[in-house]
Amino acid sequence: MLDFVQAVSDGVLFGATYALIGIGFTLVFGVMHKINMAYAAASIGAAYAGLLLLQVMAGAPPWAVFACAFLAGGLLGWLVYLACFHFIPLSHPLATLMSTVGMLLLIDEVVVHATDGMPQSYPAMFDDVMLHAGEFTLRGDLLLVFGVCVVAMACLLALLYRTRLGLATRAVSQQPVAAQLCGIQVARVNAMTFVVTGLLGGLAGAMIGASVGTLSPLLSGPLTVKGLIVTVIGGLGSIPGAIVAGLLVGGFENVFQLYRGVTERDLYVMLLLFVFLVFRPGGIFAARAGRD
Amino acid sequence: MLELKGVTRHFGGVRAVDGLDLVVPEGSIFGLIGPNGSGKSTTVNVVTGLFPLTAGTIRFRGETLDDLPTHRRLQKGIARTFQNIRLFGRLTVWQNLWVAQNSPEDRARRGFIARWLGGSRSARDEIAQLLEFSGLAHKADEPAASLSFGEQRRLELARALAARPKLLLLDEPAAGMNSEEIAQLRERILALRERGITILLIEHVMELVMGVTDRIAVLNFGQKIAEGAPAEIQADPAVRKAYLGGDSA
Amino acid sequence: MDFYFGLIQLIGVHTLLGLSAYIVLLTGQVTLAQAAFYAIGAYVSGMLTVLAGWHIVPALGVGALAGAVAACAVGFPALRVKGLMLVIATLAFGEGVRIFFFNFDYQIAKGDIKVGPLGGEGFRQIRFFPENGWTTLEVMLFIWAFVIAVMALLWWFDRSRYGAVLRAVGEDEVAAQSVGVNLTAVKVSAMTVGGAIAGIAGSLYAHYTTHIEHSNFNVLVATFAIAYPIVGGLQSVFGTLAAVIFVQGFLIEGLRGLGDWRNLLFGALIVLAMNLRPQGIFWRRGA
Repeated sequence: MLDFVQAVSDGVLFGATYALIGIGFTLVFGVMHKINMAYAAASIGAAYAGLLLLQVMAGAPPWAVFACAFLAGGLLGWLVYLACFHFIPLSHPLATLMSTVGMLLLIDEVVVHATDGMPQSYPAMFDDVMLHAGEFTLRGDLLLVFGVCVVAMACLLALLYRTRLGLATRAVSQQPVAAQLCGIQVARVNAMTFVVTGLLGGLAGAMIGASVGTLSPLLSGPLTVKGLIVTVIGGLGSIPGAIVAGLLVGGFENVFQLYRGVTERDLYVMLLLFVFLVFRPGGIFAARAGRD
Repeated sequence: MLELKGVTRHFGGVRAVDGLDLVVPEGSIFGLIGPNGSGKSTTVNVVTGLFPLTAGTIRFRGETLDDLPTHRRLQKGIARTFQNIRLFGRLTVWQNLWVAQNSPEDRARRGFIARWLGGSRSARDEIAQLLEFSGLAHKADEPAASLSFGEQRRLELARALAARPKLLLLDEPAAGMNSEEIAQLRERILALRERGITILLIEHVMELVMGVTDRIAVLNFGQKIAEGAPAEIQADPAVRKAYLGGDSA
Repeated sequence: MDFYFGLIQLIGVHTLLGLSAYIVLLTGQVTLAQAAFYAIGAYVSGMLTVLAGWHIVPALGVGALAGAVAACAVGFPALRVKGLMLVIATLAFGEGVRIFFFNFDYQIAKGDIKVGPLGGEGFRQIRFFPENGWTTLEVMLFIWAFVIAVMALLWWFDRSRYGAVLRAVGEDEVAAQSVGVNLTAVKVSAMTVGGAIAGIAGSLYAHYTTHIEHSNFNVLVATFAIAYPIVGGLQSVFGTLAAVIFVQGFLIEGLRGLGDWRNLLFGALIVLAMNLRPQGIFWRRGA
């Protein structure tokens, strides 16, 4: 029982990173009705870019590496937007989908080349801190990860609901044509969406690196799948859904790992997805039913 | 032929159609009019089965339609055209009609295995005839998206006819037409009645409605506010009020 | 010469994989599950020839059947899931199948050695062709016999009413329903045929490479499967063939000199191709 609760708590804390990735997918879907398949890879790529700082400044503190990853994420997000969504007409959804897959492959390969395929260790903060709450341990580094993600989500919500850009973004996600007719530059909004989700993704990637301790390009595949699962479970286009689903998946995944081991763990996460697809295909927070 | 009793369709809080009673006699041309948002298109969607009913029943030739899926209703003999044309743009004119041949007669003719693969000769003749009737024979191998607007409208109608319907629901077929085109449409609708098809005409364009229907029902806010012969409807003050001085015939 | 035969074998198998996605894509269902049916065909037929001593042809038949059955089973729940959600669901299904095979052990002893799938190590010794004296040329011709048969079948579908119905469903489901098309039958049948074709492709793949493992059926392969018909254009089966030749021929032959950088350029190539020609290689103007 103790193990179970410990697993859940660790999993939920880590799940905050999945929540961020899920938010990234779901926000792009909400605004542009497209899936950016390169998102998780870009997030990991940004985390790697954070490591570049250490090349330049050997003794840089971890938080600086995280900040670097954060910024790199935004840049990568913008690049993905340019390569996949700016020029390709949106009336060719298959083409945009394929091009994001191409970007996914490209980013992964760049990382592999840059690191010669060797996993890189990632700085962590507070990894030596252990808080004890009765019989349970709360790892300091996981708490930091959770905290950082929560702050990021709060900032995102503030951006969406308190700023003009956020307002424009919400307008475009509901009625792109009408938004354009109101003078909103849809292309700019789309680009900014990618930059913002990219920033979040870079942060998520850094946090994943920090809690796992190493980064490897092999992370992007499973992360893409898990991120998409989180998005679907939470409801495509719903940010609160992605948050809840991310924590849920994180918790479940850890529990599955406790009882069935690492190799089978992902299989059960798939099953979780299928359960949702059967019983609640719209996701936890399904979009309101429309008129026609 | 078609009987609606207490038909109701809600979308969340919106009552698109509310307790509608309607009887469309066999062989008639029945008009359904009303201001925008009065529930006309929803009525069509509910009769064809695209939306389930919130309440009420629909009977077609004595049979309750219940949860029967759309494609099965077509096979029973209910076909429709769409307000905004929904042709298969990338398919040719011929293919648009070919795909629509799903009436029991055509399915039987095709046989169990042959059904998926080719068409029998008489099915081909049917398509050729429909193309003649619609004046589209010369465009048979063109992609539907390349047709002019008027031609697309004619193809939309021809496609509905390819299914050999007994009841045809026309959803605003005259939208965007000039007087000459409306007159041609009127002739085609009357010709369809000659063929034994019952017609439910949803329309805004009074020129067409008044000139071709036997009986009209008027909807407003999902409810029927009047029903009668065209002349009666034109004179009805409730109708006038609903339209706020709308199109005159 | 053997090298070129090997390349042509690869192109053949990948064409089948692409065609398995082609027919499903026509109905508007974007599927990342074809690699899963490919895997199922590979493992099932491999186990039949290696563990049960079957001849390749019936083993292939069962591989195709296994792919078809799995696809049919996926096809029904897939109806409930629209558009991009289907992409995700099929992606997850594909990954699930891959992980399943990663954990799958079934070995029997044959003489001194044990044969059969062994989890992460994969399934080695699928040696039907070498053990029965097939030359590389013969294997290549065998594979291409199937490729040509499948291409002919799909080409025929394209000219038949079934093909028109598939594309009508892909274009506008509401209109298709309203003219009497049974969406369930069409979408599930397309998925099933796609599964059968993928099963054949997988069976052929397992036997010509002689060694398969879970990583041969990953997201990348699932993506290749839909990439070929998308890049080649959904107007014609020849588009898929052209795309496979372009990708595999270009990748392997043309970029040989670049060694390791090939994979890098592949991703960049896709991005470029989609920007320059989003409708696909074989797209007819006005069609």
